[in-house]
Amino acid sequence: MLQSYLPASVAILFGLAFAGLFLAGAILLGPKRDSAVKLSPFECGSEPIGSPRVRFSVKFYQVAILFLVFDIESAFMYPWATVFRDISCTGAIVRGICTAGRTSYVGFVSMGTFIAVLVIALAYVWKKKAIGWD
Amino acid sequence: MDFISMITPEALVFFGLATLAVAGALGVALASNILYSGFALMATLGGVAGLYLFIGLDFLGIAQLLIYVGGILVLILFAVLLTNRIGAVNVTNVSAPRALGGAGALGLLGLLTHVAVKTDWVLTTPVSTPTTARIGDAFLREYLLPFEVASIVLLMSLVGAMVIARRAVRDRPLPPVQGATAPVDGAERLL
Amino acid sequence: MGPLSNVESLKFYAPEMVLSAGILLILIVDLIGDRMYKRKGGVSNRKVHGTLALVTLVVAGAVLWWVNHSTPESEVPRGVAIFGGLLARDAFGDFFKYFFLGVTFVVGLMSMRSRDAIDHTDGDRDAGEYFALTLTTTLGLFMMATATDMLTAFLGLELVSIMGYVLAGFKRRDRKSSEAALKYVIYGGVASGAMLFGLSLLYGLAGTTSLAGIKASAAVAASPTTLITAVTLVLAGFGYKIASVPFHMWCPDVYEGAPTPVTAFLSVGPKAAGFAMLIRFFGGALPETLLAKGALLDSSPWPLILGASAAITMTVGNLSALGQQNIKRMFAYSSIAHAGYLLLGLVALSGGGSGSRSILFYLVTYLFMNLGAFLVVIALAESGLGENVDDYKGLGTRNPFIAVVLCIFLFSLTGLPPFAGFAGKFLVFSALLEHPTSMNVFLAILGVVNSAISLYYYARLAKVMFFDKAAEGAGPIKVYGVHAATLTVLAVPTIFLGVYWAPLLDAADQAIRAGAPAVIGAARAVAGL
Repeated sequence: MLQSYLPASVAILFGLAFAGLFLAGAILLGPKRDSAVKLSPFECGSEPIGSPRVRFSVKFYQVAILFLVFDIESAFMYPWATVFRDISCTGAIVRGICTAGRTSYVGFVSMGTFIAVLVIALAYVWKKKAIGWD
Repeated sequence: MDFISMITPEALVFFGLATLAVAGALGVALASNILYSGFALMATLGGVAGLYLFIGLDFLGIAQLLIYVGGILVLILFAVLLTNRIGAVNVTNVSAPRALGGAGALGLLGLLTHVAVKTDWVLTTPVSTPTTARIGDAFLREYLLPFEVASIVLLMSLVGAMVIARRAVRDRPLPPVQGATAPVDGAERLL
Repeated sequence: MGPLSNVESLKFYAPEMVLSAGILLILIVDLIGDRMYKRKGGVSNRKVHGTLALVTLVVAGAVLWWVNHSTPESEVPRGVAIFGGLLARDAFGDFFKYFFLGVTFVVGLMSMRSRDAIDHTDGDRDAGEYFALTLTTTLGLFMMATATDMLTAFLGLELVSIMGYVLAGFKRRDRKSSEAALKYVIYGGVASGAMLFGLSLLYGLAGTTSLAGIKASAAVAASPTTLITAVTLVLAGFGYKIASVPFHMWCPDVYEGAPTPVTAFLSVGPKAAGFAMLIRFFGGALPETLLAKGALLDSSPWPLILGASAAITMTVGNLSALGQQNIKRMFAYSSIAHAGYLLLGLVALSGGGSGSRSILFYLVTYLFMNLGAFLVVIALAESGLGENVDDYKGLGTRNPFIAVVLCIFLFSLTGLPPFAGFAGKFLVFSALLEHPTSMNVFLAILGVVNSAISLYYYARLAKVMFFDKAAEGAGPIKVYGVHAATLTVLAVPTIFLGVYWAPLLDAADQAIRAGAPAVIGAARAVAGL
C-alpha cells in the first residue's frame, strides 16, 4: 500500500533536501559582516515611512472566495468524470444498471443540474461586478 | 511487547504525519502572531492530508490539499492581511484563567484518549485501490441528493459572501494609510 | 416498505424543488431585473422579490398538500424513507414543513416593509439576495426536519447556519450587525466542529451514518463512555441551534444586532428545526438502555443530561432577561428560556413519555406569540420608535391597538391563561409528570417558578406601555396596514389556542402517530437508479 507512494515521497524528499541544502549552504558558507547601514530597511534610497505591512484591498478577498467556490466545484467534478462512462453505459455494462444498447442519462442530468446552478453563480458574480477590478 | 519490532515504516510515516498535524495545531493555538497561526495551520492541514493518503484515501487527500491548503488557507491569510491592526489585537481570553483553560484541555484530552483507546471501533479494511471512481459512484447513486444540494449551498454561500464583501468595498470609506502621502501603486489606491 | 430510490423519491421532494426553483428564479430576476421592471419605474425591488418569495412559499405549500393527497396510503405509506434512507417522508416532517413555510411567510411579510432588513437608500439593491437567502434557509430547515441520516442532518444544519450568518450581518453601515454576524460565525463554527466530532465518534461506533443503523448497532449500547461523550458533543451543535445554555452566548448579541425580521426568523425557525432533529435523534437513534461491561446500566442517562440542560437554560435565560433594557435583547433571553421549557418536553420523551406532541404544540404557539412580539417591534421601528423599554412609555395611549396586541403576546409568552402559551406549558409539564420521578417533579416545579420570574419582565413592558407617561410632544403612532393585519392574524390564534386547543393537539398527535419521530426505514439501502 505505502509502496505506491514511494515515487511521490522520493520527489518530496528531494525537494526538501535541496531546499535545505542550499539554505544551509548560504547560512554556513556565506560571509556575514553586518553593519547598522546594512541592517536598515531599504526603500529606493529614501527614508522608510510607515509600516511595511500594506493592507490588501478587500477585492482580493472577493476573488479568493470566488476561486474557492469554483475550486470545490471542480473537485466535485473529478470523481464524477471517472465514472461517467460507466454510468452512462457507453463503456462496459456494469453494476446491473445498464441494459445492453441503451444509454443512461443519469450522469449527464445530475451533473448538468449541478453545473447549471453554478452557472447562475457565475452569472451573478459577473453581473454584480465582483470579477473585474472596477 | 517488543518495542523495536513496533517500529515499522508504516508506524514511522504515521507518527511523522500525526506529529506534523498536532504540532501545527499547537502552533495555531499558541502562536503570538496571528499570521504565524495561519502558517501553522498549513502544517495541520498538510498533515491531515498526509494521513488521508496514508490510509489509502487518495482523492480525499488531494482534495484536502487542493481545497484546504490551496483555497481556505489562502483565504484565511488574506483575511489576516486585510484586517487593519490585527496584530494589535490581544488574542488571549482574559476572562478565563490560563490554569483553568489548561486543566479543561487536559481533562478533555484524557477523556478523548480514553474514548479512542478503550472503544471497540468498527474497523474497515484499508483501501488498496483508487477511491475516486467509488466516490463518483456514491455521488451519483447513494448521495445524489446531498450532491445536488451542495450546488445550492455553494451558490448561496457565494451570494452571501459577495453581499458581505461587496458592502465592504462600497460603503466603508477606509481610513487613509498611516504615513502614506500619495498612492504608490494600484493596490494602495484601492484602499 | 423499503427506502425509495432517487427517482421514486423525487415526487416527495417536490416542495423542496419548488423552493430551490424559487431561489434560482429570484436570483435570475435580480440579475436581469433592470431590463424587466426597473426601467418602467414604480415597482420597487423589494416588492418584486418579496412577492416572488411569498408566491414560492405558497406554491411549495400547495405542492406539499397535493403530493400528500394525490398519493394513496396503500401505494406509498406515510413514514417511508426516501433517497435510499437519507430523508424521511412522514407526517412528522410534513408538520414541520408547514410550520417552516408559515414562519417564512410571516417573516417575508415583515421584511417587505422593514427598513431594518432591506436598505431603502439605493433602490433596495439587496432585496433579491435577502429573499433568496431567506428561502435557502427554509430549504435547510426542511432538510433538518426530515433528515434520518447524519450526513443530511449536518448538511441541513450547515445550510441554515451559513445563511443565518449572512442574514445576521445584513444591515449596512451598522457595527452591531457586523458584530452579530461575526459572533454567530465563530460560535457556529465551534458548535459545528464539536457536533461533527461527536457524529464521527457515533459513526466509528456504529459503522453507519444512518440514525436507524445507530439504533440497530449493538456496539453503540455497549460503549457507554464513548456514546455519552459523542452525544454530549452532538448536543453542542443542537444546543447552539436551539440556543440552550451553555451554547447561548451568541444569542443576545445576534438578536440585538441582526435586522429585526431576521431575529424573528432565527428565534423560531432554527429553534424548531433543532427540536425536530433532537426528537428524531433522542426518539429514534439512541439506545434507551446502555450496557456497561456486559451489565445493564440502571437507567438511561439521557433524561438526566437533558434535564440538567433544561434546568440551567430556563433559569439562566429568565434571570438574565430581568435586567435588559433593549427589547430585542430581552426577547433573546426569553427565547433561551423557552428553549429550556421545550427541553423539558424532550426530557419527558427520552424518559419514555409522550413529550414530542407537547413540543410540537409548544412550537406552534411559540410561532404565533414570538413572531407577533417581534412584528410589533418592527412595526413600531418603522414609525421611528426605538428598541428600548423606555421608548415604549405611554404606548397605550399613542396606539392602543398595538399596545393591547403586544400585551396578548407578552402574557402568552409568560404562560398565563387563557392564552396559547399557557396550553403549551401545561402540556409540557403534564408530559413531564406522566412519570413523576423526583427529577421530573423538580423540573416541573422549576419550570413553574421560572414562569413566575418571567412574568416580571414581560409585565414590566406592559406596565411601561399603559401606566407610564409618554415623553412630551409624543403624538399617536401609525403603523402600516399590512403589519396591523398580520398582527391580528397572529394574535387571534394566540388567544384561540389557549381556549380551544384540541385541533392543534390533534394535528400534533397525527404528526407523531405510527412512531413517526422514530427513525424511518431500516439500515441504509443503496438506491439503485
